[in-house]
Amino acid sequence: MKVFIDPPNSLVLFDLVERFGHEPLSTMAAIQERVDNLEVDMPPMNVTLDDVVKGLKYAGVEVPSGIRGRMALWGPMIEEADAAIVMDDCPYSFGCVGCERSNLMVKYLIKRRGIPTLNVTYPESDEEATNFVAQTKEFLEALK
Amino acid sequence: MSEERETRLFMISPRSMLTPDQLVRMIHAFGKEAIVKETCYGCLVEGPRSLVLEIRDKVRENYRNEVFTKIRAYPCSDPRRCRAQHGTRPGFAQLEEEWQLLSKIQYGLEKVEEGAKYVPPQEKKRIPVNDFKKICEVH
Repeated sequence: MKVFIDPPNSLVLFDLVERFGHEPLSTMAAIQERVDNLEVDMPPMNVTLDDVVKGLKYAGVEVPSGIRGRMALWGPMIEEADAAIVMDDCPYSFGCVGCERSNLMVKYLIKRRGIPTLNVTYPESDEEATNFVAQTKEFLEALK
Repeated sequence: MSEERETRLFMISPRSMLTPDQLVRMIHAFGKEAIVKETCYGCLVEGPRSLVLEIRDKVRENYRNEVFTKIRAYPCSDPRRCRAQHGTRPGFAQLEEEWQLLSKIQYGLEKVEEGAKYVPPQEKKRIPVNDFKKICEVH
């Protein structure tokens, strides 16, 4: 099954989803398509007109362009996903208008789709990490 | 996901005794025709998707809980990203942060293999007013 991970470029979540037998949907794969197939200078910093149109589906013209650009990458993946894992309170996942609003938008879209979702918190200790791995394993094994 | 080219990042957990050099030598010893580039955190492997997945599985056989992987969008030594050619490396701050987390995840994976189960955390309850009064009176 296709599992969307949030943060979408997380190494830990990508590895765990693959390890327990599912296909992770990540930013890297979306950017790789643009690197390999499109002649744009530096994706995701540079976008095509198609990306802008895709982004408009999720966020209007009045919202910051950073949100539209991110949603052009993540939106289609959320629609494609069969399940999702969301990690809350990541120390590297923060920001102001563009980054944080995109993160909130991703969480909202996942909730609106109604797919099976696991919400976990960023582990701060070994015991929390054990709990996190066990919880993720149980969730992913139950998806099969 | 592209079938033609896959670049995969292998990152070694800080709890492991494995070094990037040992990891790269091991991957070279598999005798596969893939590009392997040693980095400070592990290595990058690039080749056709099926070949890279084969290498990933072999690495997992040897170092199951010590090496973590994810795919990378840009190819190895791409001038837009490679530091040797003065490229930017915008994702490195996150990689560094996640590298610190890997030791905990390795511990977690080992415990789960030993049979640890998910234990829901205890719910926080409100203190009864009388208990709270006693605390206030002591201080």
